Amino acid sequence: MTYAIETNGLTRRFGELTAVEALSLTIPAGTVFGFLGPNGAGKTTTVRMLAALIALSEGDARVAGYTLGRENQQIRRVTGILTETPGLYERLTAVENLVFFARLYGLSPQRAIEQAEHYLRLLDLWERRNERVSGFSKGMRQKVAIARALLHEPQVLFLDEPTSGLDPEAARVVLDFIKVLRNEGRTIFLTTHNLPEADEVCDLIGIFRTRLLRVDTPHNLRVSLFGNGTRVRVVGEATIWLETLHTLDFIRDMSAHDDTLFILLDDPDAQNPLLVRHLVEAGAQIRAVEPMAHSLEEVYRELLGAKQSNHQMPLARVSSR
Amino acid sequence: MQNILIILHKEWLEIRQQRGLLLGIIIPFLVLALLPIALLYVTSLNIAVNLHGINLSKVVAIADLSPREALQVFTGREFSTFYALFPVMMPSVIASYSIVGEKTSHTLEPLLATPVRIWELLVGKSLIALLPSIILTWFCGLCFVVAAALFSISGRVFVAIISPAWLVVLLLWTPLLALIAVAVMVAVSSRVNDPRTAQQMSAWVVIPFLALFYGQLLGFVSLSIVLALGVALILLILMALTIWLATRLFQREVILTRWK
Repeated sequence: MTYAIETNGLTRRFGELTAVEALSLTIPAGTVFGFLGPNGAGKTTTVRMLAALIALSEGDARVAGYTLGRENQQIRRVTGILTETPGLYERLTAVENLVFFARLYGLSPQRAIEQAEHYLRLLDLWERRNERVSGFSKGMRQKVAIARALLHEPQVLFLDEPTSGLDPEAARVVLDFIKVLRNEGRTIFLTTHNLPEADEVCDLIGIFRTRLLRVDTPHNLRVSLFGNGTRVRVVGEATIWLETLHTLDFIRDMSAHDDTLFILLDDPDAQNPLLVRHLVEAGAQIRAVEPMAHSLEEVYRELLGAKQSNHQMPLARVSSR
Repeated sequence: MQNILIILHKEWLEIRQQRGLLLGIIIPFLVLALLPIALLYVTSLNIAVNLHGINLSKVVAIADLSPREALQVFTGREFSTFYALFPVMMPSVIASYSIVGEKTSHTLEPLLATPVRIWELLVGKSLIALLPSIILTWFCGLCFVVAAALFSISGRVFVAIISPAWLVVLLLWTPLLALIAVAVMVAVSSRVNDPRTAQQMSAWVVIPFLALFYGQLLGFVSLSIVLALGVALILLILMALTIWLATRLFQREVILTRWK
């Protein structure tokens, strides 16, 4: 497997403060990697190190096959970055902004104009190419900034809070565009606070607070933390059926709240039919059977040690067995 | 080299959009450039001069000048020092907007993420501030030389005004002062977020100009070639120090982690 990003013990200190500690990570090429963590966790510092903007204190890393520290110029050529704020030249037009950066990335004047046109058309800004950026909405500026990060067709793209402050419609455009980029096989390193968005677009998630707490696919994170489960909605109070279910050995854990049973299983696909038949035979009237879906936010809160307020989620902690 | 030209082009695109900034530079520049020429012209006219007993020949340290000649030499020397002010004024204003402007618009990080080398960025930004001011200063200096040739009331007046010392001021002091002004602006830019504050903080660069202007006015200083070269040497050392400081502060790492 080819890795787009490999870090080994990556550490960055600012005086006494350790912003990033011993980050070891491998991100396969073509992956959308969600880098999640609270404010001040060191996410931006990590991005800046990986984009060869600031030096690392310890450890080593390779980005797109180039060694950080030794081949920084090459890394800058093959990576693109969307910073937290769009950072555009307000007095220049959209196309002037893009052509300037494209030229700095080494594109010829003709190619720079072609690339600017390509991405402005793709992001639906071509008609406004000759307007000054100062008159653009926040969403439009973000689109221009995304186009800027892509002009030189980078192998690895760092997106720092790409939907921050955008209205839902603009955020949707950005998210859909990230999916397009993923389909093109680019590696995307995405930092965000928006967990549903990360859940939607990321293949791999890393939960980070100075140290990397966990990295896995969103599905595996859920299963490893909360297990596989089934939610059964019945007519009437669900608690009365807990006793009935005690006889089923394959149930690992369960709880009930109002009209819903929360049942932890090893293999829901195989065990759900048995579970449902048992309940029906015992007289339960079943309204719905659905997978117990934990949100990425629950995973995030669990890993970062935040208190759970939702009764339904930490099934293992409200066990009735 | 190509990146420097790309940066210069972008800076020019931005500057030409700022009419207020351009007018703020050009109008004082024109006034200061035309004033010495106008004064040379006025003092060339055969008008009554009443110096109330002041012996300007002593002030300009040239014996045997007529009162009119002494007045013209004094006026020409005094106000031609304005040309040493231009390279401090203009680069400070342009550099402050060019560098502090990048900070306030948050464009530095994406810019530093490109493969541009940091020295290319620094040279590009410095040149956009230096080139117009040095070219204009030298052009105005040339105009002043022509005006002096036209309006000097005698040959010895011309020689006294367009002296080797003044040529050192024009040709050596001005680029050195401009470079110092830009380097100071880079250093100051690392600590402030307002171009006007940056200009205020770098205003001390006008001290050599003020020392010369008032020194000559009060008769404490007579600009000799030795003095002009001596000051040029000091400016050269100051320039080396300020450029060293600017290059230390203008690094990717420093800009992203320590600039306020």
